[in-house]
Parts: sequence; structure tokens; C-alpha cells
Amino acid sequence: MTTLLLLLLPSMLFMAGVFALPLARYLWLSFHADSVMTGLVAIPNDGANWNRFLNDLRYWQDLGQTLRFAVASVTLELLLGLAIALLLNQPQRGRALIRTTSLIPWALPTTVMALGWRWIFNTPYGPVNRLFESVFGHSLNALGEPSLAWLTTVYADVWKTTPFVALILLAGLQTIPSDLYEAARLEGAGALTCLKKITLPLLLPYLGLALMFRMAQAFGVFDLIQVMTGGGPASSTESIALYAYWNALRFLDFGYSATIMIGSFIILTMMVAIAWVVIATARRRSVVGAPS
Amino acid sequence: MKMNRSIIPLLIIWSLAPLVWQLYTSFCTDQALVMPFAEHAQRWTLAHYQSVLNSDPPFLNYLFNSLFAGVLSTLLTLILALPASYSLSKLNQRTATLIKALLIGCALFPYVLLFLALLEVARFLQLGNSLIALSIPYAALSQPLAVLLLTNAFADLPTELEDAARVEGLTLLQRFRWILLPLIAPAIASTSILVFLFSWNEYPIALTWISDSSKLTLPVAMARIAGSSIHSVPYGPYAAATVLGSIPLILLVMAFQKPIVSGLTSGAVKG
Repeated sequence: MTTLLLLLLPSMLFMAGVFALPLARYLWLSFHADSVMTGLVAIPNDGANWNRFLNDLRYWQDLGQTLRFAVASVTLELLLGLAIALLLNQPQRGRALIRTTSLIPWALPTTVMALGWRWIFNTPYGPVNRLFESVFGHSLNALGEPSLAWLTTVYADVWKTTPFVALILLAGLQTIPSDLYEAARLEGAGALTCLKKITLPLLLPYLGLALMFRMAQAFGVFDLIQVMTGGGPASSTESIALYAYWNALRFLDFGYSATIMIGSFIILTMMVAIAWVVIATARRRSVVGAPS
Repeated sequence: MKMNRSIIPLLIIWSLAPLVWQLYTSFCTDQALVMPFAEHAQRWTLAHYQSVLNSDPPFLNYLFNSLFAGVLSTLLTLILALPASYSLSKLNQRTATLIKALLIGCALFPYVLLFLALLEVARFLQLGNSLIALSIPYAALSQPLAVLLLTNAFADLPTELEDAARVEGLTLLQRFRWILLPLIAPAIASTSILVFLFSWNEYPIALTWISDSSKLTLPVAMARIAGSSIHSVPYGPYAAATVLGSIPLILLVMAFQKPIVSGLTSGAVKG
């Protein structure tokens, strides 16, 4: 028993160092002024950071934008991913080819393609604008228009992750024994009934897992936004992580940046807790007992 | 069935089209990029590649830095995670479940929110501008995934094997080296490649820890080109850099697609 715990210890200490320690430090910093104004020395400031945080319209706007980005891209990724996985779930040639091409967008560094997207959506020289011009006769300022720019970031994220989500869901589909479908067909069930009564309930744990992971990742979106739009135009694509980054490294206000991080952490935890309860309830209700 | 057959080329086009566009851009002269339909004395050029490869520091330097940080982080991750996951597979059910829940929580955490505190640590301990030091947060951040994957692999082994070895008088270290590690080699391969990819691609921490341009990793070097000027980004050289930076990863994915997929899916199936 002692040996076992000793073997576990180094890994746990490293993790505590990068996860627990920073959160504790943020909590402490969030009650201190620590910026260029104080000469980067932490001085207790009586909850002023938190007061500012709660009234910071830019933060709440960024939170809304981040959630808009997360919900739009994750929904599209799951729906498209599920459709692709269902279509691919048949024995066929070229499986290795599909896997490889699906993994390439996911494996490339986000920053590498982020500027590529900036070029592709460039007005007037990018291919998207040229195509739009030749069809509609006027130009499309995708990255310069606040109502459109966020959609380009969603597109970039969906491009990167959909094939990957499809791959995960495909693996889930392949764990469903085929005799379930045969039995259902013998009972006279159509394709739609099979999908509703067998495939979706058994795939639910995978969908739930993909949903939670992708949501949490999208909540922290940073690389893509920082390089592709820099948060612009007019802060319309700024995410909370980017705002925290500006506060720390551009405005040199570590105290407030830490408040944003810990505040966002609390908001995320609450959302995950709610999602967890919802998923657990749905699982309990599902007709076919899904393996967990 | 017809849809099924057409989905494959569609999926391939969807995934590769932006990369093909970058490839095309990287060989075009600036004039050809601005006016693609006009007649040009010279349409194709290797100048973008020349400028990228001859820049200071040379582009290959960034690839080497990323490779170095990636390999080192992977090794450190395994050194920490292998004993931990062995231990986790032997611990009593209740403790193990609790720790696994904690690991999943950490794996879910958007780690970008940690960069400020990690930056403070780097300043305090003078770890900035060191690729070796960079592997410490990388290995630590990789622990949840690595421990979860390897614990599954250890738990799948029949206990009789290790018991027999113990009866033969093999010490824990010997059992580890000669019995257990060879048996979970596929899981180690999957874990290594996933951790390597994470470290190779990691951006926010590398961005804040490293400022010395000769030590930049690939993702940060790429973003620097973007940040050099907001209004006139050198798209030609940048496209050339995208192509050069993508080649190693594309080769890696082609070579290791099986362990990557099995690592990802076993994480999804059992996580």
C-alpha cells in the first residue's frame, strides 16, 4: 500500500503544481492589486477586483461571445460528426486513408492554420471573397464585419474538429453489436427506429463525453482567436481567455487577470456540474441501459 | 449506399482543401496572388521558400525546438505516469475511482486559464527561455490523459501474470521492466504520440515562457509572423512556412494513425 502511494505521488505532485497551485494563487491574487500601478507588488485591495469583475461589461460581453462560439461550433461538430460517422459505419476500402485525412486538421498546430484562414478569408484577395464576388457581384468582408467574423472562427474550428469527432463517434458505433440490429429488423423495425432505439441510446455516452470535452475546450478558446482575428473587429470575436491574456500581458494587471481566470473557472465549473446532472438524468432514463 | 460512397471524397476535400490552398499560395509570386487571372511574366516562384529557409533564425530551427520539447516532455510524462498508473490499477476501487474522477476533471480543464500563474512560476524560478524547463509544465499537463490511458492498459492485464513473476522472486522493478512494460507497449505508444502532439502544438505557455527568438517553438514562431504586422501579413512566405511546418506532422499522422486512433478511442470508451 505504501509503495503504491509512493508510486502515485510524483505524478500527483506535478499535477498539483500546474492545476491546484495556480488556482490557489489566482484566488489569492484576486483579492490584491498587482499591476504596473503598484510596481507589480501585490497589495490587498478589499475585493475591488471582484467588484470590477462583476461590473465589467467587456468581460460579460466576451463571455457571451465565447459561449456563442462554443455552442455554435460544438453543435455543428457533433451533428456533422454524427452524420459522417453513421455514413462511414460500414466495412469499406480506404479506411486508413479516411483516418489519416481526418486526423490531419486535428493534428496541425492551431496557429499554423489560423493565419492560413486569415488569408483564405482575406478581402479582396482570398478565395472565399473571390468566389462570393463572382456569384453575388459584390465583395464579402468576412473578417472585417463584426457580424461575420465570429462565423469564420466557428468555421475554422469546425474544420479542425469535425473529422476528429466523427472518428470518435465511429469508434463508438463499432462497439454496438450488429445482432442488435438484426434482431430489430426481424421484429420489423425500420432504419429510423433502429437509429432512435438502438444507435442513439448506445452512442449517448460517447456523445455526452465528446460534448463535455469539446465544450470545455471551446470555453478556453485562445490560439485560434489570437492569431486569426486578434479578438477583432471591434472586440467582436474576443474570448474570455484572450481578455485575460490582454489584461496580464498588455495592461500588466496581474491581479485583475487572475480574477478573470478564477471567475471564469467558477462559471465553467457550475456549467459542467449542471451538464453532468442533465446527462446523468438522461442516461438513467434511456430505455436501453447504456454501458458506462 | 450512394451517399456513403460520396461522403469519402467529400470528407477528404473538406479536410485537405485549405492545405492545398496554402500549398498553391506558397508557390505563387506576389503579383500572381493579387491578380490571379491576369497574364504574368512569372507566375510560379520558390522565393517564399527561400526567404523562410534563409530567415534568421532559420525556420528549421523552430522545427528542431518543437521536436526537442516534444520528445523531452513525452519522456518526462512517461516517467511520471507509468508508476502512477500501475499504482492506480492496483489501488482499491474507491480510491482509484476518486482519483480517476479528479483526473477527468483536470483533463477537462481549459489549461489556457493557467498560463498566468505558470508564467509567475517561470519568472520566480528563472525557467523562462528554456526548452528543457518547458517540458515540466507540458509533462504535468499531460498527466491526466497519460495516467488514464495507461491505467486502462494495466487494468486489462491478467493479474496471474504478475503473481507468477512475484512467486519467481522478481522485484517490482524487474516485473515492471520484463513483464508489464512489454505487455502494455501499444498503450505506451498511443500515449507517447498523443503527448508528443500536445507538446508540439502547445501555444499559450510557450508564448509566455519563451521570448528568445532562437528558442521559439513552431506554433509561436508562426504566430509571430502573424503579429509582425497586422495590416500586411507576408502571406506568401507564411504559406511556405505552413507547408514546411505541416509536413512533419502529416508524416507523423500517416505513420502513427493506428496508435493515435486507438489511444483516442480507448480514452473515449473507458474514460
